[in-house]
Amino acid sequence: MRKMSPLFHKSSHEIPGLNLASLPDLIFTVLFFFMIVTHMRDDDVRVRYQVPAGTEVSKLQQRQAVVNVYVGEGKIQVNGRMTDLAHVAECINEERKRMSPDNAERLTVSLKADKKTPMGLIADLKAELQKVFALKINYSGTVEKTR
Amino acid sequence: MFGRRYREQIPELNTSSTADISFMLLIFFLVTSSMDTDKGLMRQLPPPPTEQVAPQDVNHKHVMTVSLDAHDRLSCNGTLMTPQQLTQEVMTFVESDPEQHVISIETDRQTTYEAYFRMQNAIVAAYRRLRATGGEYPMRISEQKPQEGGAR
Repeated sequence: MRKMSPLFHKSSHEIPGLNLASLPDLIFTVLFFFMIVTHMRDDDVRVRYQVPAGTEVSKLQQRQAVVNVYVGEGKIQVNGRMTDLAHVAECINEERKRMSPDNAERLTVSLKADKKTPMGLIADLKAELQKVFALKINYSGTVEKTR
Repeated sequence: MFGRRYREQIPELNTSSTADISFMLLIFFLVTSSMDTDKGLMRQLPPPPTEQVAPQDVNHKHVMTVSLDAHDRLSCNGTLMTPQQLTQEVMTFVESDPEQHVISIETDRQTTYEAYFRMQNAIVAAYRRLRATGGEYPMRISEQKPQEGGAR
């Protein structure tokens, strides 16, 4: 019952609880967004590298036909496996066997090499790739902001 | 008394934990996935060299030599320049002779990959700008084996 006197009128209103009913929907929306725009990281990278930046880089299509080659601090990794220069060709051939014939045909090597790698190593690597006819190569790089 | 029906109400489903569950899923996806779309410069390597093929002679006036030395200094036909200048040079050179031009790339084994990447980037930029104006400009690039020179 409300007190009649206005002098002693205390607000007895309770703050209504926040309605959280839409919170799950909200989070699900964010979740689906992330599920669509991202892809699973398939191999753990054990090479430390920082790719160079360029203004003309374009997106790499057809992820199924891509073999990642990481180069950093003199170490080489092909997809998920550490290897060395002498065994790169072997690794590429194995990756190619794992692909469907269609993808094997347009196999692309995404070269993620560290900025400071000497060109000697890169050139040797490219010669190895030529030997196994992995001729499509993508020099991985980040987008450079143009001033 | 007998006509009395059950008036019990079905209790509402408690959905307060749905948010927690979806949060956990969200965090899982954030951790396991990577946002980075793979970007880069697409190039085609020549087939492996065979002994039978004799090196072709190319007329000197069709050749532009772009070279990087062991200290990442970029030069074009012997003059030092920046990648921006190289883009300009390549554009004028390719435009003058789209059919027969050859850009010869020389590097040193000690050149860093970044310098090489910047040079490739500059060359691609030149071709892109030319192609944007219409007309066909095939990329005619010949890469030489890096020199063993080291620091000079």
